[in-house]
Amino acid sequence: MKPHRRKKLGIIIFIAAGLGTAIGLSLFALSNNIDLFFTPTQVAAGEVTPGQRIRVGGMVKEGSVEHDQDILEVSFITTDYNHDVRVHYAGILPDLFREGQGIVAEGSMSPDGTFIASRVLAKHDENYMSVEVKAALDAAGNTTGMPPGAMR
Amino acid sequence: MWLWFAKLGSPRWFYELSDKWLPWLYVSMLILMSVGLFWALLIVPEDYQQGQTIRIMYIHVPVASISLACFPLMAVAGTITLVWKMKLADMVAQSVAPIGAWFTGLALATGAIWGDQIWGTWWAWDARLTSLLIQFFLFIGVIALRSAIDSPDAAAKACAVLAIVGAINVPIIKYSVEWWNTLHQPASNFSIDPVAPNPPEVWVPLLVMISAVYVFFAIALILRTRNEILQRERRSQWVIDLVTREKNV
Repeated sequence: MKPHRRKKLGIIIFIAAGLGTAIGLSLFALSNNIDLFFTPTQVAAGEVTPGQRIRVGGMVKEGSVEHDQDILEVSFITTDYNHDVRVHYAGILPDLFREGQGIVAEGSMSPDGTFIASRVLAKHDENYMSVEVKAALDAAGNTTGMPPGAMR
Repeated sequence: MWLWFAKLGSPRWFYELSDKWLPWLYVSMLILMSVGLFWALLIVPEDYQQGQTIRIMYIHVPVASISLACFPLMAVAGTITLVWKMKLADMVAQSVAPIGAWFTGLALATGAIWGDQIWGTWWAWDARLTSLLIQFFLFIGVIALRSAIDSPDAAAKACAVLAIVGAINVPIIKYSVEWWNTLHQPASNFSIDPVAPNPPEVWVPLLVMISAVYVFFAIALILRTRNEILQRERRSQWVIDLVTREKNV
Protein backbone atom coordinates (compact mmCIF):
# COMPACT_ATOMS: atom_id res chain seq x y z
CA MET A 1 0.00 0.00 0.00
CA LYS A 2 1.37 3.40 -0.92
CA PRO A 3 2.41 5.62 2.04
CA HIS A 4 -0.11 8.41 1.36
CA ARG A 5 -2.91 5.86 1.18
CA ARG A 6 -1.74 4.21 4.38
CA LYS A 7 -1.78 7.64 6.04
CA LYS A 8 -5.31 8.38 4.81
CA LEU A 9 -6.57 5.01 5.97
CA GLY A 10 -4.91 5.66 9.34
CA ILE A 11 -6.67 9.00 9.69
CA ILE A 12 -10.05 7.43 8.83
CA ILE A 13 -9.57 4.64 11.35
CA PHE A 14 -8.43 7.14 13.99
CA ILE A 15 -11.47 9.39 13.46
CA ALA A 16 -13.90 6.45 13.45
CA ALA A 17 -12.37 5.00 16.62
CA GLY A 18 -12.35 8.39 18.38
CA LEU A 19 -15.94 9.12 17.45
CA GLY A 20 -17.00 5.63 18.43
CA THR A 21 -15.43 6.03 21.87
CA ALA A 22 -16.98 9.46 22.39
CA ILE A 23 -20.45 8.26 21.41
CA GLY A 24 -20.02 5.10 23.45
CA LEU A 25 -19.12 7.07 26.55
CA SER A 26 -22.01 9.52 26.16
CA LEU A 27 -24.49 6.67 25.64
CA PHE A 28 -23.08 4.97 28.74
CA ALA A 29 -23.57 8.18 30.72
CA LEU A 30 -27.11 8.54 29.38
CA SER A 31 -28.05 4.89 29.81
CA ASN A 32 -30.69 5.54 32.47
CA ASN A 33 -32.37 8.14 30.31
CA ILE A 34 -32.38 5.86 27.28
CA ASP A 35 -34.21 3.09 29.13
CA LEU A 36 -37.81 3.10 28.04
CA PHE A 37 -39.10 2.13 31.46
CA PHE A 38 -38.23 1.69 35.13
CA THR A 39 -38.28 -1.79 36.62
CA PRO A 40 -40.21 -2.42 39.86
CA THR A 41 -36.83 -2.79 41.61
CA GLN A 42 -35.86 0.71 40.54
CA VAL A 43 -39.22 1.99 41.77
CA ALA A 44 -38.72 0.24 45.12
CA ALA A 45 -35.27 1.79 45.38
CA GLY A 46 -36.94 5.20 45.25
CA GLU A 47 -35.56 6.23 41.87
CA VAL A 48 -38.85 7.86 40.86
CA THR A 49 -40.64 10.76 42.48
CA PRO A 50 -44.45 10.65 42.82
CA GLY A 51 -46.21 12.66 40.13
CA GLN A 52 -43.31 12.39 37.70
CA ARG A 53 -44.48 11.03 34.35
CA ILE A 54 -42.67 7.71 33.79
CA ARG A 55 -43.07 4.22 32.40
CA VAL A 56 -42.89 1.09 34.50
CA GLY A 57 -42.26 -2.31 32.93
CA GLY A 58 -42.55 -5.83 34.27
CA MET A 59 -44.50 -9.05 34.11
CA VAL A 60 -48.16 -9.18 35.12
CA LYS A 61 -48.13 -11.21 38.34
CA GLU A 62 -50.17 -14.41 38.24
CA GLY A 63 -53.51 -14.05 40.00
CA SER A 64 -53.15 -10.33 40.57
CA VAL A 65 -55.51 -9.00 37.90
CA GLU A 66 -58.76 -7.54 39.26
CA HIS A 67 -61.28 -6.27 36.75
CA ASP A 68 -64.00 -3.90 37.88
CA GLN A 69 -67.42 -5.38 37.12
CA ASP A 70 -69.09 -2.15 35.94
CA ILE A 71 -66.43 0.07 34.45
CA LEU A 72 -63.25 -0.49 32.48
CA GLU A 73 -61.05 -0.10 35.52
CA VAL A 74 -58.45 -2.75 36.12
CA SER A 75 -55.84 -3.26 38.77
CA PHE A 76 -52.87 -5.62 38.64
CA ILE A 77 -49.39 -6.14 40.03
CA THR A 78 -46.39 -5.82 37.78
CA THR A 79 -43.26 -7.57 38.94
CA ASP A 80 -39.66 -8.32 38.02
CA TYR A 81 -39.71 -11.19 40.54
CA ASN A 82 -37.80 -9.07 43.06
CA HIS A 83 -40.24 -6.26 43.72
CA ASP A 84 -43.87 -5.55 42.88
CA VAL A 85 -45.71 -2.43 41.80
CA ARG A 86 -49.51 -2.23 41.85
CA VAL A 87 -50.92 -0.59 38.74
CA HIS A 88 -54.35 1.01 38.35
CA TYR A 89 -55.59 1.58 34.86
CA ALA A 90 -58.85 2.69 33.28
CA GLY A 91 -58.97 1.91 29.60
CA ILE A 92 -58.70 -0.75 26.95
CA LEU A 93 -55.92 -3.28 27.45
CA PRO A 94 -53.97 -4.66 24.48
CA ASP A 95 -55.07 -8.11 23.26
CA LEU A 96 -51.85 -9.67 24.46
CA PHE A 97 -52.43 -8.53 28.05
CA ARG A 98 -52.68 -11.53 30.36
CA GLU A 99 -51.15 -12.88 33.54
CA GLY A 100 -47.49 -13.73 33.10
CA GLN A 101 -47.18 -11.35 30.15
CA GLY A 102 -44.64 -8.54 29.96
CA ILE A 103 -46.15 -5.05 29.93
CA VAL A 104 -45.05 -1.44 29.93
CA ALA A 105 -47.35 1.02 31.72
CA GLU A 106 -47.18 4.76 31.19
CA GLY A 107 -48.29 7.12 33.96
CA SER A 108 -47.12 8.30 37.35
CA MET A 109 -46.68 7.04 40.91
CA SER A 110 -49.28 8.22 43.36
CA PRO A 111 -48.10 9.14 46.89
CA ASP A 112 -49.56 5.87 48.29
CA GLY A 113 -47.16 3.82 46.18
CA THR A 114 -49.52 2.60 43.47
CA PHE A 115 -48.96 3.41 39.84
CA ILE A 116 -51.73 5.26 37.98
CA ALA A 117 -51.40 4.28 34.33
CA SER A 118 -52.78 6.25 31.43
CA ARG A 119 -51.67 3.66 28.88
CA VAL A 120 -50.66 0.01 29.01
CA LEU A 121 -48.58 -1.60 26.25
CA ALA A 122 -47.94 -5.31 25.85
CA LYS A 123 -44.39 -6.52 25.50
CA HIS A 124 -43.79 -9.88 23.89
CA ASP A 125 -40.64 -11.96 24.15
CA GLU A 126 -38.39 -13.28 21.39
CA ASN A 127 -39.81 -16.81 21.45
CA TYR A 128 -42.11 -17.78 18.61
CA MET A 129 -43.79 -21.17 18.27
CA SER A 130 -47.06 -22.75 17.26
CA VAL A 131 -49.89 -23.52 19.65
CA GLU A 132 -49.04 -27.23 19.36
CA VAL A 133 -45.38 -26.78 20.28
CA LYS A 134 -46.34 -24.57 23.21
CA ALA A 135 -48.82 -27.18 24.43
CA ALA A 136 -46.23 -29.95 24.07
CA LEU A 137 -43.69 -27.93 26.02
CA ASP A 138 -46.19 -27.16 28.76
CA ALA A 139 -47.24 -30.82 28.96
CA ALA A 140 -43.62 -31.88 29.34
CA GLY A 141 -43.22 -29.23 32.00
CA ASN A 142 -40.17 -28.19 30.05
CA THR A 143 -40.04 -24.49 29.58
CA THR A 144 -36.29 -24.17 29.25
CA GLY A 145 -35.40 -21.26 27.13
CA MET A 146 -38.64 -19.69 28.31
CA PRO A 147 -37.76 -18.47 31.80
CA PRO A 148 -40.65 -16.78 33.61
CA GLY A 149 -38.53 -13.65 33.67
CA ALA A 150 -38.07 -13.65 29.91
CA MET A 151 -38.58 -9.95 30.33
CA ARG A 152 -35.31 -8.25 31.03
CA MET B 1 -5.53 -10.35 -5.31
CA TRP B 2 -4.56 -6.75 -6.03
CA LEU B 3 -5.10 -7.26 -9.72
CA TRP B 4 -8.57 -8.56 -8.99
CA PHE B 5 -9.19 -5.59 -6.73
CA ALA B 6 -8.07 -3.17 -9.43
CA LYS B 7 -10.18 -4.95 -12.03
CA LEU B 8 -13.26 -4.82 -9.84
CA GLY B 9 -12.75 -1.09 -9.60
CA SER B 10 -13.13 -0.73 -13.31
CA PRO B 11 -16.72 0.28 -14.09
CA ARG B 12 -16.57 -1.31 -17.51
CA TRP B 13 -15.50 -4.66 -16.11
CA PHE B 14 -18.28 -4.54 -13.52
CA TYR B 15 -20.84 -3.57 -16.13
CA GLU B 16 -19.96 -6.51 -18.36
CA LEU B 17 -19.72 -9.02 -15.51
CA SER B 18 -22.97 -7.97 -13.83
CA ASP B 19 -24.69 -8.47 -17.17
CA LYS B 20 -23.96 -12.17 -16.76
CA TRP B 21 -25.02 -12.25 -13.10
CA LEU B 22 -28.38 -10.60 -13.53
CA PRO B 23 -30.36 -13.45 -15.19
CA TRP B 24 -29.26 -15.85 -12.44
CA LEU B 25 -30.23 -13.37 -9.77
CA TYR B 26 -33.66 -12.80 -11.37
CA VAL B 27 -34.37 -16.53 -11.47
CA SER B 28 -33.19 -17.20 -7.91
CA MET B 29 -35.17 -14.25 -6.58
CA LEU B 30 -38.32 -15.42 -8.32
CA ILE B 31 -37.95 -18.92 -6.85
CA LEU B 32 -36.93 -17.83 -3.34
CA MET B 33 -39.56 -15.10 -3.16
CA SER B 34 -42.47 -17.30 -4.28
CA VAL B 35 -41.45 -20.23 -2.08
CA GLY B 36 -40.76 -17.92 0.88
CA LEU B 37 -43.98 -15.91 0.60
CA PHE B 38 -46.14 -18.99 0.10
CA TRP B 39 -44.50 -20.70 3.06
CA ALA B 40 -44.56 -17.71 5.37
CA LEU B 41 -48.06 -16.48 4.57
CA LEU B 42 -49.90 -19.79 4.22
CA ILE B 43 -48.01 -22.71 5.76
CA VAL B 44 -46.33 -21.38 8.90
CA PRO B 45 -48.53 -22.25 11.91
CA GLU B 46 -50.17 -19.54 13.97
CA ASP B 47 -48.09 -18.27 16.87
CA TYR B 48 -49.28 -19.30 20.32
CA GLN B 49 -49.25 -15.66 21.46
CA GLN B 50 -49.60 -13.55 18.37
CA GLY B 51 -51.76 -15.70 16.07
CA GLN B 52 -51.69 -14.66 12.42
CA THR B 53 -49.87 -11.44 13.21
CA ILE B 54 -46.63 -13.41 13.36
CA ARG B 55 -46.54 -13.41 9.54
CA ILE B 56 -45.48 -9.76 9.57
CA MET B 57 -42.16 -11.01 10.96
CA TYR B 58 -41.36 -12.69 7.63
CA ILE B 59 -41.35 -9.29 5.94
CA HIS B 60 -40.15 -7.14 8.82
CA VAL B 61 -37.03 -9.11 9.76
CA PRO B 62 -35.53 -9.44 6.22
CA VAL B 63 -36.22 -5.78 5.46
CA ALA B 64 -34.73 -4.61 8.76
CA SER B 65 -31.71 -6.87 8.32
CA ILE B 66 -30.92 -5.32 4.93
CA SER B 67 -31.46 -1.81 6.20
CA LEU B 68 -28.75 -2.55 8.78
CA ALA B 69 -26.42 -4.02 6.13
CA CYS B 70 -26.72 -1.00 3.81
CA PHE B 71 -24.98 1.49 6.06
CA PRO B 72 -21.79 -0.53 6.67
CA LEU B 73 -21.71 -1.25 2.92
CA MET B 74 -21.90 2.48 2.23
CA ALA B 75 -19.18 3.14 4.84
CA VAL B 76 -16.86 0.54 3.32
CA ALA B 77 -17.44 1.96 -0.16
CA GLY B 78 -16.79 5.43 1.28
CA THR B 79 -13.50 4.30 2.83
CA ILE B 80 -12.40 2.81 -0.51
CA THR B 81 -13.35 6.07 -2.23
CA LEU B 82 -11.34 8.15 0.22
CA VAL B 83 -8.25 5.95 0.32
CA TRP B 84 -8.00 4.33 -3.13
CA LYS B 85 -10.18 6.77 -5.12
CA MET B 86 -11.84 3.84 -6.86
CA LYS B 87 -14.54 5.13 -9.21
CA LEU B 88 -16.82 2.14 -8.80
CA ALA B 89 -16.85 2.42 -4.99
CA ASP B 90 -18.44 5.84 -5.10
CA MET B 91 -20.99 4.68 -7.67
CA VAL B 92 -21.98 1.85 -5.32
CA ALA B 93 -22.10 4.28 -2.37
CA GLN B 94 -24.38 6.59 -4.31
CA SER B 95 -26.61 3.72 -5.46
CA VAL B 96 -27.01 2.11 -2.05
CA ALA B 97 -28.18 5.26 -0.23
CA PRO B 98 -31.74 5.46 -1.64
CA ILE B 99 -32.13 1.68 -1.38
CA GLY B 100 -31.04 1.84 2.26
CA ALA B 101 -33.45 4.69 2.92
CA TRP B 102 -36.32 2.66 1.42
CA PHE B 103 -35.47 -0.46 3.39
CA THR B 104 -35.14 1.51 6.62
CA GLY B 105 -38.46 3.19 5.94
CA LEU B 106 -40.06 -0.19 5.23
CA ALA B 107 -38.60 -1.66 8.42
CA LEU B 108 -40.08 1.24 10.40
CA ALA B 109 -43.45 0.89 8.63
CA THR B 110 -43.77 -2.88 8.99
CA GLY B 111 -42.62 -2.57 12.59
CA ALA B 112 -45.27 0.08 13.25
CA ILE B 113 -47.99 -2.17 11.79
CA TRP B 114 -46.79 -5.08 13.92
CA GLY B 115 -46.48 -2.91 17.03
CA ASP B 116 -49.93 -1.45 16.58
CA GLN B 117 -51.38 -4.97 16.61
CA ILE B 118 -49.31 -6.51 19.39
CA TRP B 119 -47.87 -3.83 21.64
CA GLY B 120 -50.90 -1.58 21.44
CA THR B 121 -48.97 1.33 19.95
CA TRP B 122 -47.40 1.94 16.57
CA TRP B 123 -44.57 4.03 17.97
CA ALA B 124 -42.60 4.29 21.21
CA TRP B 125 -39.44 6.26 21.83
CA ASP B 126 -37.52 3.16 22.77
CA ALA B 127 -33.85 2.73 21.88
CA ARG B 128 -34.35 0.34 18.95
CA LEU B 129 -37.05 2.37 17.25
CA THR B 130 -35.36 5.70 17.82
CA SER B 131 -31.93 4.55 16.61
CA LEU B 132 -33.48 3.09 13.46
CA LEU B 133 -35.31 6.38 12.86
CA ILE B 134 -31.94 8.16 13.17
CA GLN B 135 -30.55 5.82 10.52
CA PHE B 136 -33.44 6.75 8.24
CA PHE B 137 -32.59 10.43 8.64
CA LEU B 138 -28.89 9.68 8.07
CA PHE B 139 -29.72 8.07 4.73
CA ILE B 140 -31.83 11.09 3.77
CA GLY B 141 -28.91 13.28 4.88
CA VAL B 142 -26.43 11.39 2.68
CA ILE B 143 -28.74 11.71 -0.33
CA ALA B 144 -29.33 15.41 0.33
CA LEU B 145 -25.62 16.08 0.88
CA ARG B 146 -24.73 14.60 -2.48
CA SER B 147 -27.26 16.64 -4.37
CA ALA B 148 -26.28 19.79 -2.46
CA ILE B 149 -22.65 19.73 -3.65
CA ASP B 150 -22.03 20.53 -7.31
CA SER B 151 -18.58 19.04 -7.72
CA PRO B 152 -18.89 15.22 -7.98
CA ASP B 153 -15.49 14.66 -6.36
CA ALA B 154 -16.24 16.89 -3.37
CA ALA B 155 -19.70 15.31 -3.05
CA ALA B 156 -18.15 11.83 -3.06
CA LYS B 157 -15.73 12.76 -0.28
CA ALA B 158 -18.35 14.47 1.88
CA CYS B 159 -20.76 11.52 1.53
CA ALA B 160 -17.97 9.05 2.32
CA VAL B 161 -17.16 10.89 5.55
CA LEU B 162 -20.84 11.05 6.56
CA ALA B 163 -21.25 7.34 5.77
CA ILE B 164 -18.25 6.37 7.91
CA VAL B 165 -19.36 8.54 10.82
CA GLY B 166 -22.99 7.40 10.53
CA ALA B 167 -22.00 3.73 10.54
CA ILE B 168 -21.34 4.09 14.28
CA ASN B 169 -25.13 4.03 14.65
CA VAL B 170 -25.36 0.47 13.31
CA PRO B 171 -23.99 -1.39 16.37
CA ILE B 172 -26.15 0.88 18.51
CA ILE B 173 -29.26 -0.24 16.61
CA LYS B 174 -28.16 -3.87 16.75
CA TYR B 175 -27.44 -3.98 20.49
CA SER B 176 -30.00 -1.40 21.65
CA VAL B 177 -32.36 -4.20 22.69
CA GLU B 178 -29.70 -5.70 24.96
CA TRP B 179 -28.16 -2.59 26.43
CA TRP B 180 -31.38 -0.87 27.43
CA ASN B 181 -34.93 -1.62 28.56
CA THR B 182 -36.92 -1.41 25.37
CA LEU B 183 -40.41 -2.27 24.19
CA HIS B 184 -38.82 -4.13 21.27
CA GLN B 185 -37.88 -7.70 22.20
CA PRO B 186 -34.26 -8.93 21.91
CA ALA B 187 -33.07 -11.05 19.00
CA SER B 188 -34.37 -14.64 18.92
CA ASN B 189 -32.23 -17.74 19.36
CA PHE B 190 -33.14 -20.34 16.77
CA SER B 191 -33.52 -23.93 17.91
CA ILE B 192 -32.92 -27.11 15.91
CA ASP B 193 -35.27 -28.99 18.22
CA PRO B 194 -38.75 -29.14 16.66
CA VAL B 195 -40.35 -28.99 20.11
CA ALA B 196 -38.76 -25.86 21.55
CA PRO B 197 -39.19 -22.12 21.30
CA ASN B 198 -38.30 -20.88 17.79
CA PRO B 199 -38.37 -24.34 16.15
CA PRO B 200 -37.30 -24.91 12.51
CA GLU B 201 -40.90 -24.57 11.27
CA VAL B 202 -40.64 -20.94 12.36
CA TRP B 203 -37.15 -19.99 11.21
CA VAL B 204 -36.56 -22.02 8.02
CA PRO B 205 -39.15 -20.00 6.07
CA LEU B 206 -37.68 -16.87 7.63
CA LEU B 207 -34.27 -17.86 6.26
CA VAL B 208 -35.82 -18.34 2.81
CA MET B 209 -37.44 -14.90 2.99
CA ILE B 210 -34.18 -13.29 4.16
CA SER B 211 -32.30 -14.82 1.21
CA ALA B 212 -35.06 -13.75 -1.19
CA VAL B 213 -34.96 -10.16 0.00
CA TYR B 214 -31.15 -10.14 -0.06
CA VAL B 215 -31.19 -11.26 -3.70
CA PHE B 216 -33.76 -8.55 -4.43
CA PHE B 217 -31.45 -6.04 -2.75
CA ALA B 218 -28.49 -7.25 -4.84
CA ILE B 219 -30.53 -6.85 -8.03
CA ALA B 220 -31.68 -3.36 -7.08
CA LEU B 221 -28.13 -2.33 -6.17
CA ILE B 222 -26.61 -3.76 -9.36
CA LEU B 223 -29.23 -2.11 -11.58
CA ARG B 224 -28.77 1.27 -9.93
CA THR B 225 -24.99 0.97 -10.10
CA ARG B 226 -25.16 0.06 -13.80
CA ASN B 227 -27.26 3.15 -14.46
CA GLU B 228 -24.76 5.21 -12.57
CA ILE B 229 -21.89 3.72 -14.59
CA LEU B 230 -23.56 4.61 -17.89
CA GLN B 231 -24.37 8.08 -16.61
CA ARG B 232 -20.88 8.90 -15.39
CA GLU B 233 -18.94 7.13 -18.15
CA ARG B 234 -21.18 8.41 -20.93
CA ARG B 235 -18.24 10.11 -22.68
CA SER B 236 -15.99 7.05 -22.67
CA GLN B 237 -15.64 5.09 -25.88
CA TRP B 238 -16.96 1.76 -24.58
CA VAL B 239 -20.28 3.27 -23.47
CA ILE B 240 -20.66 5.07 -26.80
CA ASP B 241 -19.94 1.79 -28.60
CA LEU B 242 -22.41 -0.05 -26.41
CA VAL B 243 -25.20 2.43 -27.04
CA THR B 244 -24.66 2.67 -30.79
CA ARG B 245 -24.47 -1.10 -31.05
CA GLU B 246 -27.79 -1.50 -29.29
CA LYS B 247 -29.30 1.13 -31.56
CA ASN B 248 -28.17 -0.69 -34.68
CA VAL B 249 -29.48 -4.05 -33.61
